[in-house]
Order: sequence, then structure tokens, then C-alpha cells
Amino acid sequence: MMFMSHSSLTAWLDELAGERTLIAPRDVGRGHIHLRPVAGSSEITLEYDRPDLSAKEFLFPHTERLMQVEKRSDQVTLHDRFLEKGQVVFGLRPCDAHGLVALDALFRDREPADAHYTRRRQKTALVGIACPQMWESCFCTSLGGAPDDPTHLDVLLTAVEGGYAVQPVTNQGEALLASAAIEEVTDLSLPDIPRNEQVPVLAADQWPAHFDQEYWSRLGERCLSCKLCTFVCPTCRCFDLRDEPVASRTDLVLIERMRVWDACTAPNYRTIAGGHNSRPLKGQRIRNRYYCKFCYYPKDFGPLGCVGCGRCIDVCPVNIDIVEMLNTVYAMHQERDTVEAEAET
Amino acid sequence: MFRRPHQCRQLGGEFHHFLRLTTARPCLTQDNGFVSSAGYVHEEETHLIEQIRAKARELLESGRVSCVIGYEAATRGGTRPAFIYDPDGVDRLVWNRECYANLTTFLHDKKKPARRGEEVPNVAIMTKPCDSRAINLLLSEGQISRDKVYIIGLACGGMMAEGNLQAPCLRCNVRIPVLYDTLIGDPPDIDVTDDFEDLAELEGMSAEERLQFWLREFDRCIRCYACRQACPGCYCNVCEFDRDDSLWIGMQIELPQKYFFHTFRAMHLAGRCVECNECERVCPMDIPLSLLNRKLVKEVSELLGHRGGMTTDPVPFVTILADGEVSLI
Repeated sequence: MMFMSHSSLTAWLDELAGERTLIAPRDVGRGHIHLRPVAGSSEITLEYDRPDLSAKEFLFPHTERLMQVEKRSDQVTLHDRFLEKGQVVFGLRPCDAHGLVALDALFRDREPADAHYTRRRQKTALVGIACPQMWESCFCTSLGGAPDDPTHLDVLLTAVEGGYAVQPVTNQGEALLASAAIEEVTDLSLPDIPRNEQVPVLAADQWPAHFDQEYWSRLGERCLSCKLCTFVCPTCRCFDLRDEPVASRTDLVLIERMRVWDACTAPNYRTIAGGHNSRPLKGQRIRNRYYCKFCYYPKDFGPLGCVGCGRCIDVCPVNIDIVEMLNTVYAMHQERDTVEAEAET
Repeated sequence: MFRRPHQCRQLGGEFHHFLRLTTARPCLTQDNGFVSSAGYVHEEETHLIEQIRAKARELLESGRVSCVIGYEAATRGGTRPAFIYDPDGVDRLVWNRECYANLTTFLHDKKKPARRGEEVPNVAIMTKPCDSRAINLLLSEGQISRDKVYIIGLACGGMMAEGNLQAPCLRCNVRIPVLYDTLIGDPPDIDVTDDFEDLAELEGMSAEERLQFWLREFDRCIRCYACRQACPGCYCNVCEFDRDDSLWIGMQIELPQKYFFHTFRAMHLAGRCVECNECERVCPMDIPLSLLNRKLVKEVSELLGHRGGMTTDPVPFVTILADGEVSLI
């Protein structure tokens, strides 16, 4: 097993920060930890559970300028806006990396691939830190993940006595570690992280039978229709696209094409030209959010739209709890099976 | 853990010295929030819950209301909003020191019939004193009719967060709702004065320092709009920030837009804010929004003698049209 001491880690991170953009957990005030670009290891905090937001914003930024249109006299020029410098996201959790699988399926693996996302993905390395425990709302193990799952990372670090156990996962990870001071240690054992209870999740084709249940409108009643759950979600990937004027003068017109996060939970999300809204009720919107995650998205794109990070549970001001929802839908399904079995006999 | 208002704890660390109490009564301490003074005995007593449930059952069974909006136990501790339609569902209702949410915001969902052709529903609502001011606000702005809302008023000794009274409850002197149809519980005997001590540090700063303070706070904002959505006073059909053609603000989730959003919203709540603190409670980033709103509460209170929602008098600077319609600015 490979081992990196705390001081080696610091030196390695400072070196990475010199050649690329280093993104790492940072204290942004009042005890909140966000993944943010840092100048060096001194700005990084290693005391955190889950950062408030996942790592998705560095692949799918909350505000992305896709291109700029510049008009001078009668000449119009288009400027691409691509990520130039490589970036390393350090300290993300395995569920954050797992969440990128859902983003890849839409933005990268399906033709036509999104040029901006693909470029960012190529230029981004992921150095994760295993979770020291599963926190109360975590249920990643019910959705194919684990607190110490290296699968979707380039390097996985696990905190051990005196430093970190190092697991390179990809070639990119190996290359990244080339400059790190790593020792080979034989007697290193990784911590055994207790697992939370499994949450039952119906298969994608079992969901449509429950679409018309009254449960959804009842669940939606207390929803505030904010965008919180979707913004903290590692897999939610809806966006709005708009051309925003930056400058408008006689000699110069500048327009930026902007892609900004959007949320299907917001009241105006489904409003179309003319003002019609095909999802005007809160219950319809919350149902759509969950059906997207567990039914539509796996059917249309493959991966589930949930990795069980539990962030939406923690932040919801009105306790809309995705685990409670999954248990309820599972119970409704069991009940339905029982009724059908009784009808047959 | 289901979100508790832990910002109060964090504010407590930094702002604890603001919580100077003007009373000599030994009923409040900064350490444990409350001690065993009679007014502060924990009122989670069964008989209050039973009174609430009995009233809810009576209202539903008699057909006086079709829905009771109240609190029920949340999945991971604390409480959450509950909507009870069936008299047998009243046993879900709870009333304890963790009933944080301001339920009056849900009255906006009950302003229209549930289905076309039906009547506007009659609802009952469990209402804490601070939240009751929002009902006055909505009445004064013509949003709800008094006869459609049955107010189950709750005498309140304050809500707790992690073993302490929440910061706004420490300064609150409205201990029974400003209006109600029935009152549950006895008014706690509490004597505190709200002297806006929470604003002292900000007011002591230079304009530049204050700007930097707010920019640091707004930097964490993600424009999720939880504050706006939870606010009973934020009910525009189409918010300026939701318009596709807004000329005021871009869609970017960046500092200038966040800064503009919060100051814009605060200005629209000037004289209207009922100080329920719900915006701050729901903020996932613990932005101390109450400081922003309460600064305007203070200004309007001192200049115009008006405090949002204490009566059904409209905000002093609204326009009242000839036909009685109230127009905000």
C-alpha cells in the first residue's frame, strides 16, 4: 500500500497549484466548506464532512460563458470560451465523482457531445478523499457507491495514522502522483467504515405504475419551490441558456451566451412562450424531480440520477426527504404486488 | 440531520454579545437560553397538543375548514409543515419547541380553489406570535380574506435550536399572536425589549466595511431562492428575478447578481418584514439575512412608527387607489 505523509501531501498540493488550477475544500465563512480554487495548501481545510456543494460546478459551472459575440462597426466576431488551464479537484468525496457519471452520459457520451463539458472533463483530474464515516443522511451504498469507492476518481486518498493511504485509479492519477513523495508501506490497513441501512430503490420500469398516486401532491404541498435540492445535487444538470448583453454602444456591441443552472422545482421552469406552464403544481414538479432521477434518466441515458449523497435531505427547509420518498414508493409497490397476487388467487 | 436553524448557534458565537437583555429578571441567560422561570417552562405538555388536535378535529368534522395547516414530526428530528384534511389525521399534529417554520407562507397556496369551479378553501392554521404578523400583512395587502382563515393561535415561549433559544426568540416580546380565533396555551410571562442590539456591530462599521461584510456573506449565496420562497411577504406572481426579459438583473449566479438580489428583496420588504426570521432559517449558507431586513425594520419603525404586521394598517408608503386597491409603490 502506498502512503503519503501530511507534509508530503502539502508539498504535492502546492506543486499542483503551481501548474494547474487547484480546487479544494475551503472555509468560506460561518463554518461552511465549499470546493473553491485555492492558491496553495494553506487555504485548504481538511476538517469537513461533505462540502456544501458537489464538484459538479467545475465541470458544469453554475454560470458558464459559452461564447462572446463582438460587433465593431459592421464586423461581427465570435469568440469561443473554453477552459484552457488544467484543473485538479482535490478533496471531493466518492459520491461527488459518482455524480459525474450522470453528467457524462448527457454532456459527453451522447452525440452531439457538449464541447465545453468535454473539454473541462478532459482537463480535470479528480483526487478524492474517502469519507471517514457515512453521515446520517448518506445512502450511497444503496445506489452502487461507497464511502471509500475509488471507481470514478483518478486518485483516492484515505486518512490513516500520520497521513493518507494513496490509491491511484487511472493513468492520469498515476501521472499526477509522479511528483509526490510516496512511501511503500506494508502494514497499512484501511479503516472499515460502518455502512448505513440499505434503502430500497425500485427499478426504472417499476416507477410508472405509481405516477398517479395522490402521494405526490401531498408531498408537494410543503415544498417551497426553491432550487436548493437541485443546486446541491451532484447529478442535477438542468440549465437555462440566454444571450446577455454586456456592452451596447455605437462603436461596440458585446453579447455573451450564458449557460446557468436551472431547477425543475422552480415554478417557472416549464413556462413556455405564451406563458403556458405544463407543470404548474408543486406535486407535479417534485414528482418530476424524482421520476427524472429514478425512471426517465436511467431509461433514456443509463445512469441513475441519484448517488445517495444525502445533501438534499440535509438542506431542505421543509424536510422533503428522498429516503422517506424511496421507502414510501417501495411500500406502495409492495402493496400493489400484494393486491395483484390476491386478485390472482 | 434535517436542517435545524443552526445558524443561530453560529451567529451566537460571533454575535453573542449583542444579545444583551434589558430586563433584570433572571429568566434568560445566554448560555442555556432559558431557565426554570415560570414563563419559560417547556410547553410541550400533552394537554396543549391535545387541545390543538381537538380544535383541529372539531374544525374539520364540522366542515368549518377543509384543511388544517400545522406541524408534524419530521423524519430526522424536529418538525415540518403538515396539511391535514381528514379528522383522523389530526393525531399527526405536534406542538413543541422545534416548530420553526412560518406556515403562513402556505396560505398563498390556498388563495385559489384547488380545482376549477370549486370555492376558495377555508383553512385553519397553527400560528406562532411572530408568524401571526404575516397574516396581518396579507390581510392589509388584500391577499387573503379573514373569514377564510381560522387562526389557531399559539402562545409561545420561543423556539429552541440545539439546546438554546434561537437568537430572534431571545429579543421577541410578542408572545401571543397579534390576532387569532382561538388561543392555545397561556401567555408566557416574559419581559424583554427589542433594542436592535443585533445591528450594533454593522451600524458601527464604515460604509466600506459594511459593503465588504455583505459581499463576504453573499459570496456563499447560490441563488436558490429559498429565502424568497419561504417568505410570506414575497408573493409576486412573477418575481423580477424570474423574468426572462428582466432588464434589472442578469441570470448569472455571481456576486453582483447575488448582491443585487438580496438588497432588492430587502427593499421590497421594508416596512413589510414581520421579523419571523424564516429567510435566515432556510438559508443553506447561513447568510444573516435578518440583519439586512431588521435594519430596514428599524428605519421604518423610527421614521414612520410602523412595524410590519403588528396591525392590519397598510405599510405607510403604499399607494391606495380610489377603488381601495393597494399598490406597493
